Amino acid sequence: MRFKVYRFDPESRAKPAFRDYDVRLQPADRKVLDALVRIKEQDDSLSFRRSCREGVCGSDAMNINGRNALACITDLAGLREPVVLAPLPGFPVIRDLVVDMSTFFRHYHEIRPYLVNDEPPPERERLQSPEERERLNGLYECILCACCSGFCPSYWWNPDKFVGPAGLLQAERFIADSRDRATAGRLAFLDDVYRLYRCRTIMNCTEVCPKGLSPARAIEHIKVQLLRRSS
Amino acid sequence: MRIFGGQRAFVLQRLTALVLLAYAAGAAARLAFGAPVSLEGWRAWAATPAGAALIALLAAALLLHAWVGVRDVVLDYVHPLGLRLALLGAAAAGLLFLGLWTALILVSHAL
Repeated sequence: MRFKVYRFDPESRAKPAFRDYDVRLQPADRKVLDALVRIKEQDDSLSFRRSCREGVCGSDAMNINGRNALACITDLAGLREPVVLAPLPGFPVIRDLVVDMSTFFRHYHEIRPYLVNDEPPPERERLQSPEERERLNGLYECILCACCSGFCPSYWWNPDKFVGPAGLLQAERFIADSRDRATAGRLAFLDDVYRLYRCRTIMNCTEVCPKGLSPARAIEHIKVQLLRRSS
Repeated sequence: MRIFGGQRAFVLQRLTALVLLAYAAGAAARLAFGAPVSLEGWRAWAATPAGAALIALLAAALLLHAWVGVRDVVLDYVHPLGLRLALLGAAAAGLLFLGLWTALILVSHAL
């Protein structure tokens, strides 16, 4: 199977370029990550991240034939050849398919991704009704792979200021949590021309989320809540 | 609603879009089902208080919608502060001029 892989070595003076690989796949090789491992056997200078190899850790997010996806759960069957593998768009490239995610995780930390509740804790745990728990479905499953943010034009334009779809989905996860007591502060933080309102509902985020989540819907919920609070 | 929160522009863009949509639907229905209007007929309608008010509302919605759109494009693409301020200033001046020009035409027709 033929591949074109984005190569960049920061230690050399060469400009980034795509390199062609012809890979002899083994019968058990089904996913793009399997092919990347075969390429690595041919050329051990290739760098890419991977860990769980089953769509849980989010390490191997990359652009596969123009679409962001996780290499470990993307089937090789059906991919147009040559399969073009590139780093996540909009992220600074460290080497080959490895991108710098520091800004992405800075935004994640800024939205305070944890429950804030200063009330005295109950003896066992803070309980939720089934309905309250239901509101977290479609939010808590995010694995922070950055497929969504890396496919969002608004994030490409202002990655340092716009929180991005992943960060905003995570923000909504805690805003929607009945056990959290910092909703007003969370909404006040997001009520900003850059942090939230750079989103144009392009919906690329929802289109590419490998977990089938909808950051666009989460962002709309945040906007609606801000509107309700101000009216 | 914070002055620089972003929500004001978000709401304004949607409200003005609704006004523009209503006008577009009205204009399409008029063109499809109404009898053709001569220039004189159009001028006479624009000179009535109701006609002038409707045109003024359309112009205001259009200019405000355009302002939010231009502002968003500049905020997205133009990062140097000086250039950004210059472009926003030029856009605001241009849109303001168009608004005043529309008002002048409507007032001169009404007199």
